[in-house]
Amino acid sequence: MTDTPLLEVHDITAGFGAVTVLHGVSFEVPRGSIAGIFGLNGAGKSVTMKCLAGVVPTRSGSVLFDGEDVTRMSPERRVARGMGHVPQGRQVFPDLTVEENLRLGAYTLRRRNRSRYQAALDGVFDRFPVLRDRRTQKAGTMSGGQQASLAVGRALINEPQLILVDEPSAGLSPVATLELDAVLQEVAKTGVTMVLVEQNIAFGLSLVDTAHLMQTGTVVHSGPVAELDDQTLATHLGIGRVLQAAAGSALAARQAPRPKEKARARRTA
Amino acid sequence: MLQVLVLGLMNGGIYAIFALGVVLVYRGTGVLTFAHGEIGTIALYFAYFLVAKVGLPWSIGALGAIALAALLGGAFEFLFVRRMVNADPVSTVVLTVGFGLFLLAAEFFFFGASPRNLEPPTKHYFFVIDNVVVRPWQVAALVLALVLGFGLQSALRRSDFGLGILAAAQDPAAVRLVGVPLSRVTLTVWSVGAGLSGLAALLVEPSVGVIAPGYASELFVIGLAAAVVGGLTSLPGAFVGGVVLGIAQSASSRYLGSFGVSGLQYIVVLTILLVVLLGRAYAPEVRRRLATPHAGAPSTTTAGAAA
Ligand SMILES: Nc1ncnc2c1ncn2[C@@H]1O[C@H](COP(=O)(O)OP(=O)(O)O)[C@@H](O)[C@H]1O
Ligand SMILES: [Mg+2]
Repeated sequence: MTDTPLLEVHDITAGFGAVTVLHGVSFEVPRGSIAGIFGLNGAGKSVTMKCLAGVVPTRSGSVLFDGEDVTRMSPERRVARGMGHVPQGRQVFPDLTVEENLRLGAYTLRRRNRSRYQAALDGVFDRFPVLRDRRTQKAGTMSGGQQASLAVGRALINEPQLILVDEPSAGLSPVATLELDAVLQEVAKTGVTMVLVEQNIAFGLSLVDTAHLMQTGTVVHSGPVAELDDQTLATHLGIGRVLQAAAGSALAARQAPRPKEKARARRTA
Repeated sequence: MLQVLVLGLMNGGIYAIFALGVVLVYRGTGVLTFAHGEIGTIALYFAYFLVAKVGLPWSIGALGAIALAALLGGAFEFLFVRRMVNADPVSTVVLTVGFGLFLLAAEFFFFGASPRNLEPPTKHYFFVIDNVVVRPWQVAALVLALVLGFGLQSALRRSDFGLGILAAAQDPAAVRLVGVPLSRVTLTVWSVGAGLSGLAALLVEPSVGVIAPGYASELFVIGLAAAVVGGLTSLPGAFVGGVVLGIAQSASSRYLGSFGVSGLQYIVVLTILLVVLLGRAYAPEVRRRLATPHAGAPSTTTAGAAA
């Protein structure tokens, strides 16, 4: 059971009205790994994530989560089953306080087992001390980086098995992106399985284990980051020299063995 | 003067309860409802049916009326609003108008055009302030509107589901992604909003004593205006809007009544509505002009700021 992938996406198609956006997307995400979906603007990354969340209906194909077919399941039931979300644009509830945002994040956890909430809250506060300091502050009044921490904390507090993160760095300042990088590295350490969509390829590749490259609604390349090369990136993403150089350096860093991977290898052993 | 105030407050409480229902539904689902007036009327007819025809006590009739109103609101959400999530909000608004007309037709069909009497629970309890007869249910309406207007929000914050209702008003899509069942939120909001309409209709009816088709809609329209005056998304604003319009109305009929123009009070309500809307539209511009004295030469100001 544990060696079946946590998430299996089989040939899903989706669209809006007469327009088909996804023409058969397939990939798998093993337990405890981080998958990255990369592609140009409009490639269908967000629509794919919305199909996984259940917000956009799939027209054909199937999504298996933890061995269960969830293709027709409502978004809220998927959350109860163990999916967590950091949606595009972060989408914290601006008029609720930090703590209220977290309490809502733990909605299904609290229904399942209310006694676990306090420990989960403390866990998030320990991981993101800024949220403890600002627990009574309205979420909308925080900086972009802090809101990103809150969005991630709000997903983590529900103790999800899988966390879907869509373009967390979009619209953040370079400083806030660094902050976010630290946050996501922190999340990776929890051993949670993650699917990450990122426009900033250099940033994204430094986080993920497996890269899925998307082009006009299909996955054109899937493979471990360690085996990715500049040529593949250039072919499928058509990125120019500048990005190529940036991606190259991130790859270099990612392809060297790192403590995180060793830790993960130990855990799975 | 006091007379005007007392009369205005008594009516204002009723408008405020209607306005609260409107705001609740608008915040929760983004739909401006025009159906809740007729939901209130038909609820009153149901109370009339239970009390005058079946012979049940007034309190049971009142509970039945509120329950029916809530049921109608919930059913409307479940059968129609829910299927319109991907449609233009305007079409949903039109649907609420249609539902109101349907209920109006049902009132004519079942009860006819002639007014019906629903005896108030008591005629004996009242007090007089400056020659105005004030009845307990009028005070109840005002107190209830005050409590709901200023207390409902913090009451909602206490429960997870209530927090979900507040969050759904800010971002319905994100609410589903934290696991809150959005359909239950919208169902609740429509039921409670409609129940409030039934309650408002019940609280105003004893002062009039008769029910006719379309009865509560006249009041509801002012409640709707009160909600808009209060900002449409603010529960305290709904209360303030209701009271302001109630007082404006009683003042206009007191001081302008001698002109003998029928419907003058609606003109006053409409004028206030217009002034508030225009004021809100132009406020940012006015504030900007006041803040930058040299608004006539913006290029120099920005250049100065950039330097
Ligand atoms: N709600 C929608 N209605 C119609 N078309 C949409 C909608 N959302 C996305 N699309 C289209 O689907 C395509 C993929 O979008 P998206 O998945 O958001 O791209 P990205 O890979 O940049 O996240 C785009 O062409 C976009 O215009
Ligand atoms: Mg996107």
